Amino acid sequence: MFQQSQAAATTPAVAETATWQPQIVALICNWCTYAGADSAGTARRSYPASVRAVRVPCTGRVDPLLIVKAFEQGADGVLVSGCHPGDCHYVQGNMVARRRFTVFRALMDFLGLDNRRLHFAWISASEGAKWSRAVDEVTTAVRAAGPLRDWGRTGARRSAVRLPAVPAAPRSAPSADDQRAVGGHLQRLAATLLTEGRVSVVIGYTPGSLPAQMVPAFVTRPEDAPALGWSDRCVNNLSVYLPGAVRQWGKVALVAKRCDVNGVVGLLQESQIARDDVVVIGVACPGVQDDGGLALKCHACGGDAPPHADWTVTPGGAEPGAHPSGASGAVAADPRDALVTYLESLPAEDRWAYWQDQFSSCLRCYACRAVCPLCYCAVCVAEKNRPQWIPVNIEGKANMTWNIARALHLSGRCGGCDECARDCPADVRLDLLNHRLSREIEQRFGYRSGADPAVAPPLATFRPDDPQEFIR
Amino acid sequence: MSEGAMASATRLTPDELHGWLAGMLGDKRVLAAVDEDGLRVFRSVERADQIALPTGKTRWSPKEFLFARTETLFAYSVAGNEVTLDGAPVESAEQVLVGVRPCDAAGFLRLDAIFLDGDADSLYASHRVRTTVVTVACDEAGPECFCTAVGGSPASDKGSDVHLTRVADGWLVRPVTAKGDRLTASLAGVGRAPSPEEHAEAETQSTRVAGHIRQSAIAREWAAILESRFHLPLWETLGRRCVGCGICTYVCPSCSCFDVTDTGSASCGERCRSWDSCTFAAFTRHASGHNPRATQAARYRQRVLHKFSYFPLGHDGESMCVGCGRCVQLCPVGLNVRETVQAVVAAAADGHDAGG
Amino acid sequence: MPSAFQPHLARIVSTRDETPDVRTLRLAFVEPDVARRFRWEPGQFAEFSVFGSGESVFTMANSPTRPEYLECTMRAVGKVSGAIRSLSVGQVLGVRGPYGNRFPVETWRGKDLVFVAGGIGMAALRSPLQFVLDNRADFGDVVLLNGARSVADLVYKDEMAAWQDGGVRVIRTVDPGGEATGWDGEVGLLPHVFERLALGPDGRIVIVCGPPIMLHFMFLALEKSGFTPEQVVTTMENKMKCGIGLCGRCTIGRVFVCRDGPVFTWAQVRAFPKDF
Ligand SMILES: Cc1cc2nc3c(=O)[nH]c(=O)nc-3n(C[C@H](O)[C@H](O)[C@H](O)COP(=O)(O)OP(=O)(O)OC[C@H]3O[C@@H](n4cnc5c(N)ncnc54)[C@H](O)[C@@H]3O)c2cc1C
Ligand code: SF4
Ligand code: SF4
Ligand code: SF4
Ligand code: SF4
Repeated sequence: MFQQSQAAATTPAVAETATWQPQIVALICNWCTYAGADSAGTARRSYPASVRAVRVPCTGRVDPLLIVKAFEQGADGVLVSGCHPGDCHYVQGNMVARRRFTVFRALMDFLGLDNRRLHFAWISASEGAKWSRAVDEVTTAVRAAGPLRDWGRTGARRSAVRLPAVPAAPRSAPSADDQRAVGGHLQRLAATLLTEGRVSVVIGYTPGSLPAQMVPAFVTRPEDAPALGWSDRCVNNLSVYLPGAVRQWGKVALVAKRCDVNGVVGLLQESQIARDDVVVIGVACPGVQDDGGLALKCHACGGDAPPHADWTVTPGGAEPGAHPSGASGAVAADPRDALVTYLESLPAEDRWAYWQDQFSSCLRCYACRAVCPLCYCAVCVAEKNRPQWIPVNIEGKANMTWNIARALHLSGRCGGCDECARDCPADVRLDLLNHRLSREIEQRFGYRSGADPAVAPPLATFRPDDPQEFIR
Repeated sequence: MSEGAMASATRLTPDELHGWLAGMLGDKRVLAAVDEDGLRVFRSVERADQIALPTGKTRWSPKEFLFARTETLFAYSVAGNEVTLDGAPVESAEQVLVGVRPCDAAGFLRLDAIFLDGDADSLYASHRVRTTVVTVACDEAGPECFCTAVGGSPASDKGSDVHLTRVADGWLVRPVTAKGDRLTASLAGVGRAPSPEEHAEAETQSTRVAGHIRQSAIAREWAAILESRFHLPLWETLGRRCVGCGICTYVCPSCSCFDVTDTGSASCGERCRSWDSCTFAAFTRHASGHNPRATQAARYRQRVLHKFSYFPLGHDGESMCVGCGRCVQLCPVGLNVRETVQAVVAAAADGHDAGG
Repeated sequence: MPSAFQPHLARIVSTRDETPDVRTLRLAFVEPDVARRFRWEPGQFAEFSVFGSGESVFTMANSPTRPEYLECTMRAVGKVSGAIRSLSVGQVLGVRGPYGNRFPVETWRGKDLVFVAGGIGMAALRSPLQFVLDNRADFGDVVLLNGARSVADLVYKDEMAAWQDGGVRVIRTVDPGGEATGWDGEVGLLPHVFERLALGPDGRIVIVCGPPIMLHFMFLALEKSGFTPEQVVTTMENKMKCGIGLCGRCTIGRVFVCRDGPVFTWAQVRAFPKDF
């Protein structure tokens, strides 16, 4: 109720007068730029006082959340500068950072942040002149962009942007017989796995209390296997339960759709579970219904049998092993592509207004985190209070920080199951944020989540020749 | 509703109703259910054409207008060794919540019981006095609704100041409290007395909608039974699929847990309270790492027992849950508090029954 | 009227480091009127806050019989307690309270008392202990059994002699391995040392405070020694935010620890659902 006064208290008062000076935070590496800036300072090639330099040990230590915090606390622009690739004091910190910055920049651009506010540079200790020039250019750019007044807001949605309609579902509903058949095979397979002691629990689906609803079920006794079922309402990505279930039960069998397997692969990649812990029961999926229509993620999915499965269940039966046809099987374009492209086609300020709207309703229930198989941290960044990365308040600025943090933490890891977006009570289009970043990562680094458990996640690695055209 | 109560109702045409609601816009903050790109929530509206009375619930309850997501408790400023505190600015502008569902109005009564009991919470109290609640009887019920199972009804006026009922070609408007009388004072000379047919229509509607809710009642005596079954292993079976997402508590009209934190720097800022959720692990986790409610199932049990046992046992058996069904509908893993309660009550006292 | 959440201001008059991470603060309210009005009972607590960091609950560590100052002893474990640790003399913090129930000291009159405190749990027992010292003639035999992980972790080292002189038998113990050269106290876990003392249950009240695991074994030892659950009093430390029965997190079943506690008999604790 007093969010307004609160915003006023935490934002430095910015009088909109000719005397306005941009507030620019420069995160600069101790080993190079800082020395370069120092030499610039001593050489009296002075730079505007509006630049607050923050010395960091390496750009590799610049978590993009630091940049977000700068904006949250009232900065109008941010400059990050460190050693040239190859010159890192810690050998490769800056090259890992470069990938992170790539993704962060893509995200901020997609959110519609005026790109005059965010700058990256490689400036060595001997490049005092380059530093001075960079500071001049950045200051000019931020000055032109003006005071950043609307970083996060609360209240009614105001933007006129409406996403275009999604084309009709390309796949017809599966037949009731097929669904029953799959359910039957799942029941028999679960009973066998439990009876033979190959697993201690089977995580699958069972009818819920609302019409047609299917909900997660944990079956631990063969005689309970008939509770399992299958339909196009099996929306949950059950891999969210895997790490906990493995801790509790040891061997776990998991019913998984094509998209859910991405979660399993992610958990394997990040060593949260071992391959032997889990028996993946892949179901050749007919596409799931979300909000009465085919889920967006399913439009382009051929419903192929999942890879990495230990069992494959189709209406025809249950077979050991994975049997993906390998064919892309795409039946239609991914509507998320079209929606992302549409948003990208808008002027940045419209995009900004759109996302401000989206985040303004966020309740900070953290359901997006709870349902994500890759949000497994025992203590989430949102629970860390020293420092307080994510402010506890449920209002605009904090909502921005949370939503950016979530999107970044899932970048290069999200398997596109869209559970977060499906469950978000405020309908925040988290699916589009994730999709945009997955696309960036695929285009830039040639990486697709969920493909190979043996490959390092893209933001944990780098290539010396990674693109860097955005770095001055 | 009883005949007597209905007798004081006024029958308005849709235009008359709209005129009455629009007339509030000038001097009051009007909060109405607004559809925002598929998301229906209560918002402060500025224009008469934004005030609609849609059927069905808003995504989350309007409790945030009495108990805000985040509310400033006071502001502080620190200069050297001196500290100055400034109390939260007291808002006095009258606000009218228009189109509140009976379950949500009952939710306000639960919040009253929590925040106004004993030493009243001054912030909540200040919002409560300036708020008038206009309820609308439901003309349809969702598959998740179960108000009738917890002592409510789709036509209830409990917690309401002015109660509206939709009839063919018009509305019955009935003040319920003194606040409601004040709000309807401007209707003097507007509309007419409802016809017997219209009374009958309202009755029929109420019976019809209540009839759609085929959920068996949650008996008052169950509160004690549930408390005695705290230790049943069944809770683990029932609650283990809970992912601790917090949706249920944030959309619920009667959930009222909060956190108190500072926002700002060491030199100036505010202390605020913000919604929090008993389904979060961090809710009870000590600084030492010890967590009294160590499992998600234990946290789910806490929520269910608070609603259906601990609160009723301290409030004449009245359930804290008002049966809006939002948590049932929005829980990502389909947990259903009503069914959980029934399963625990139905379980053998030793509780070694299989469950969901 | 300011809300119940708005604290009084209190200035740090002096500090004393008890252990590397425990400090005792002596506070004086900024407003003389508040200083006169703010009265508490042994066992009650308050919300102490550092502006910009937040608030946390700590027990009033001195007895109401010594009301010139307010004292509290805090272990730096997290955000607020860490921030309090970094304040210096002259700086101001927020105090709201007192909250909670209290030790039923009047029912202890004429009885023998044993205070058993583990680690920082001693902070919660200092107030009732001082109360007993200040009314020494009203009570029988008084024993303080105070334990910590190591000698360095023992609190109130400077006060023990005065307590001893005041008529309290002080026994200190450290966990095996925690002794230092010259240590002349006991070595062993509190429940074991308690059993070795062989204090009979007749006419005796035991007041226990410490970490959950110590409480667990202490109660087993007490049971073995023939104490009834009604003879044992403890104080619970559930996480709290509001202190006034609203925020919902300190609950154990129907009980709000902040409002109905934090002091409970072991008989009450045993009847609680296992939710703590
Ligand atoms: C009735 C009572 C009396 C206490 N008396 C003392 C005392 O005299 N001396 C002492 O050193 N400690 C005492 N404690 C424990 C002390 O409250 C916690 O250590 C402290 O709250 C930790 O806060 P933090 O902000 O430093 O930790 P963080 O982990 O950063 O805490 C974050 C928030 O969680 C809450 N919190 C975390 N742990 C606890 C906890 N165990 N109890 C309550 N709230 C918690 C705090 O409100 C804090 O704001 C007492 C606790 C209770 C309930
Ligand atoms: S994307 Fe849709 S169709 Fe494909 S596996 Fe996932 S749920 Fe099934
Ligand atoms: S699920 Fe939606 S409302 Fe909840 S925290 Fe995530 S974005 Fe916000
Ligand atoms: S517990 Fe669920 S059904 Fe009951 S009032 Fe809350 S949200 Fe509605
Ligand atoms: S009961 Fe459902 S909505 Fe509530 S926290 Fe658990 S999973 Fe989320």
